[in-house]
Amino acid sequence: MISRVADHCFWFGRYMDRAESTARLLQVTRTLVFDADIPVTQCWKPLVIVAGVEEKFIERFGQDNIGNGELVQNYMTWEPENPISLRTSVRAARESARVLRDVLSLESWEEVNELYHWLGGDEAQVLYRQNREQFYRRVRKSTQLVLGLVRSTMLHDTPMSLLWAGAMLERVGQTARILDMHPHTMTLESAHQIVEVALWLSLLRACSGYEAFMKKVQGRVSAQAVASFLVFDRRFPRSLRYCLLSAKQILLHIWPEADRPGPGHAPYARLDALTTWLDKQEATSTPSIIHALLTRVVDDTALICSDIGREILGPPQPEEKAAATPAAQTQSQSQTQSPTADGAPLETRRPPKPEKPETAGKAEVQ
Amino acid sequence: MGPPLLFDTYKPIAGTFDEMIDAEGTPRAHARRATKILDGLSPKEFAQAQSLAELSLYSQGVTFSVYSDQRGTEKIFPICLVPRVISGAEWNRVEKGLAQRIAALCAFLDDIYGPQKILTSGTVPADLILGAKFYLPKVRGIRPPGGVRIPIAGIDLIRSPDGVFRVLEDNLRTPSGVSYVVENRLVTKRIFQSAIEESSVRPVEQYPMHLAETLRAISPVDPAETRMVLLTPGSFNSAYFEHTFLARTMGVELVEPSDLFVEDDTVFVRTIRGPERVHVIYRRIDDAYLDPEFFRPDSLLGVPGLMRAYAAGTVALANAPGNGVADDKAVYPFVPDMIRYYLGEEAILAQVDTYVCTRPDDLKYVLENLSQLVVKAVDEAGGYGMLMGPQASAAEIEEFRKRIIAEPRRYIAQHRVELSTCPTWVPGAEKLAPRRVDLRPFILTQPSGSWVLPGGLTRVALVEGSYVVNSSQGGGSKDTWVQKDKSL
Repeated sequence: MISRVADHCFWFGRYMDRAESTARLLQVTRTLVFDADIPVTQCWKPLVIVAGVEEKFIERFGQDNIGNGELVQNYMTWEPENPISLRTSVRAARESARVLRDVLSLESWEEVNELYHWLGGDEAQVLYRQNREQFYRRVRKSTQLVLGLVRSTMLHDTPMSLLWAGAMLERVGQTARILDMHPHTMTLESAHQIVEVALWLSLLRACSGYEAFMKKVQGRVSAQAVASFLVFDRRFPRSLRYCLLSAKQILLHIWPEADRPGPGHAPYARLDALTTWLDKQEATSTPSIIHALLTRVVDDTALICSDIGREILGPPQPEEKAAATPAAQTQSQSQTQSPTADGAPLETRRPPKPEKPETAGKAEVQ
Repeated sequence: MGPPLLFDTYKPIAGTFDEMIDAEGTPRAHARRATKILDGLSPKEFAQAQSLAELSLYSQGVTFSVYSDQRGTEKIFPICLVPRVISGAEWNRVEKGLAQRIAALCAFLDDIYGPQKILTSGTVPADLILGAKFYLPKVRGIRPPGGVRIPIAGIDLIRSPDGVFRVLEDNLRTPSGVSYVVENRLVTKRIFQSAIEESSVRPVEQYPMHLAETLRAISPVDPAETRMVLLTPGSFNSAYFEHTFLARTMGVELVEPSDLFVEDDTVFVRTIRGPERVHVIYRRIDDAYLDPEFFRPDSLLGVPGLMRAYAAGTVALANAPGNGVADDKAVYPFVPDMIRYYLGEEAILAQVDTYVCTRPDDLKYVLENLSQLVVKAVDEAGGYGMLMGPQASAAEIEEFRKRIIAEPRRYIAQHRVELSTCPTWVPGAEKLAPRRVDLRPFILTQPSGSWVLPGGLTRVALVEGSYVVNSSQGGGSKDTWVQKDKSL
């Protein structure tokens, strides 16, 4: 499989899952405002923080607006400058999908393409204004459909494995971030039992885990049970452990000998170490311990993703280094140095090459 | 009385051949079935079918980029659902003529990049060829692996008022448009299933399979061991949809120049499991951007060393570099002479009379009659660099006069041909009206001979009175129905 194409597969999976998670998080936070008796501003602020866009948001709208639900939703949905807004993720996914036209099944491509055009058109704007709930639903459904179509209509081969590895590792970060919203909210003075339950339930909904969780605990909702479920459950497909173990298996599909030194070993070894470490951790509800655990998982996952990038593309080429913009360099540094799960900006696909002005203007006219 | 049916108000343009309806307003024999089925629809129903077709093309991403940057607008190549029908018997003749033309052009290119006998014989003026913009002296003496220089050709045909198909121009470098032929048929089939069955239309979906077979046939290694790739400049290219379409439907990988590299005069592709050898490249990149070592040392684009590998015979390129000299518009008038010279036959397909501005008599005539002529730059395509004399302003004519005097070699002129028309849906007016069409058949050639895709791309000038069918200039397309020949 061609390296450049492989890289797009991986990122396509990541962007699709990211769009789904973002839509879900926005949708759930809206309902949280109705369900829990906490000030509106305290619902939206954690979202901005865990999304890793706090700094940029404040720079743009000021400290006072960080709890402004409409501003936050606009920023997280439409803002082209926001690297993880729905529009940015869908556009990036579609850009990769265009490169992957000969790899993706026609049906998967059509669905991504329709979502992209819909989101860029008037219809989406109208729905966003008139029925926010339906708007998020539509985005979520389309992204879920794409990922489902990928599994049911593409060859189960290296391209799909890479795509799915991207989706799984992205999901690790997303679930961790959602779970990490809790400590921020729990510092509230008004926190009491009912509020807490409402918060936990909303986190479960944000991970599509409400029903699965209830089947397991039959009504016994506690902070510890929820955290344990989202971190450790082996059968819940959005738990950290599940996603990490899946990613590990997938890496073995891509590089069958990844468990020994050679191709694919670097990301595999790191992933193996992380899952082994996770096995030794214990369920707890102490916010500081959960936060530390999540931070480790998010940071290691980011490293695993860059390992995979290096396996696929090889080390960055000299021309690439020269072409990298200062902004991109800053970003890649902050990825590895950021000590916390919250506030760490999500990585974006590294631009492989500068634009090609020479042929860009040349239409193939024959 | 029901609502007016589709063909009720349709009238061909006087003095112009209409593909479907004769001068009395009666459907031509071969088009009778198709028109009958369409005529069962009211304009409203037809309009619905049209918008359905357009929506389906849009959501499938069957588009071309209007601007070449990545954020540029994407448009569908508009489709008109009224098909253009060609009788089986007529098509047989066209097919033979196309195969003959390609055989002569292949022989010509082999000769030009070899012994150059045709120049010595004086059949074609040597200075015209050796001075052509797309003549590549450095390619001379290189024998292309597989031996075929034009595996893929697109030859533009038009039909004059006398009902005769004529060649308008040859496209022997990277002809595009075939993906629209296949996609248009898919869309039309969904909407007019029965019409297609009843008119016994020859299928077109087999094109990708024939293309793959054609490419395998020029492989320097065992066909079964051959790794083929399609080389695209990238997703910002206006024909990118077609590149992905062909890669997908042939099942070959779509690569960009940076995915390939050359070592020991052998081409490799970078994969996640290390470099792998490539044997055949269907390149959709112009000669000039193939290999910076060979073409332009200042350029960062292309695959350095590709031409060395080609010369060493380890990789086949489709089409061969240097083909542009044969589809130069000033060389076009000599194709019938080539057919006579190489094949000892008379050309089956007619051409359009052409004035070559390097000939003093022709130049004089052209300059005296600019307002009646169509002037074309010999090295441009896509409807660019053209003067439509009868429709041009005085200022435009004077501008071209200056350009022609400055560089006569760059221009040819032809009388405007009253291109044939086809009933075409006019949105807004909600009715059918005659619009001018051309036809680009696609010809695939292997050492064993040529295969012609039945039909080809019918392009239509959607604007009333327009003669320009190019997609970049307001053209659309139609499905082309070649009927099965019952006499066979």
